[in-house]
Amino acid sequence: MSSKIEELKKRRKKEFKKKKNQTHYGLILMVLALGIYFFLLVKGISYSSFWIIGLFIGFVLQKSRFCFTSSFRDFIMVGNTALFKAIIIAFMISTIGFAIVQYMNIDDIQNFSIENVVGKIHPVGIHTIIGALMSGIGMVIAGSCASGTLMRIGEGFLLQILVLVGFIIGTLLGANQFQFWDKLLIAQSPTIYFPQHIGFVKSVIIQLIVLAGLYILADWYDKKNNIMSM
Amino acid sequence: MKEVRIDCMHEICPIPLLKAMKELKKMAKGEILVLETNHSCSIANVVEWAKKQGHNVDYMEVSEGEWEIYIEK
Repeated sequence: MSSKIEELKKRRKKEFKKKKNQTHYGLILMVLALGIYFFLLVKGISYSSFWIIGLFIGFVLQKSRFCFTSSFRDFIMVGNTALFKAIIIAFMISTIGFAIVQYMNIDDIQNFSIENVVGKIHPVGIHTIIGALMSGIGMVIAGSCASGTLMRIGEGFLLQILVLVGFIIGTLLGANQFQFWDKLLIAQSPTIYFPQHIGFVKSVIIQLIVLAGLYILADWYDKKNNIMSM
Repeated sequence: MKEVRIDCMHEICPIPLLKAMKELKKMAKGEILVLETNHSCSIANVVEWAKKQGHNVDYMEVSEGEWEIYIEK
């Protein structure tokens, strides 16, 4: 680390008074969270696990400053693909995880219908592209995706409350207009589930190879961009 | 030692990064850019970018939810 920055930090540290201690707020929140957990344990066991998983996801999201928006935006804007690579790795892990869960839940591997497979398998078509484009534009303008919005409201970044209002309006409009899109595009698009066509092992391996290829491409793009900017 | 201060309070990503890039272009070698922000994810964003460009960079929380990012050109 440069001595100049160290010096500046030392000087700035003296200029600020000590931060308030927030430990007791944290403890109160922890007791509250545990209280809700036990309340849900009585009311419905699945809600209590959702609550705990949600809390942990939020914690990791905030501490790691992980941002889905930035992962897709920065490699176009400044050629930084670090977060994009992280998402590809997350896809790889969930590919393996989902394959195991789905494989174990299907009785007859040779002959099964998509409705019986665990997970969300939906038709793919033009509506996928339209939706992706709309959410891409939306999240760059808003500065965060859905999870990021909630995490930053919790952090106290008030602008995101405005985003949340827009988010709710958008979701309601989407639910309201869903039938139009369903009739126009979704119902006519095919639902493609690779294991049904080429088998489980093959499709998992192919998906992992494609993701690894994307990872290498992203890594190469990151390095190439670095050299160009020097 | 000269330092340039830019105010990115209440600005969301990627505005702080864009402002920093613009300002750094105008600065001479050895000068320090101080970027004030309260958007936590722009820390990751700006620090990551500055490191990749080979600048010395560090940050500090100066008050609750407010940070200063130091970049040496």
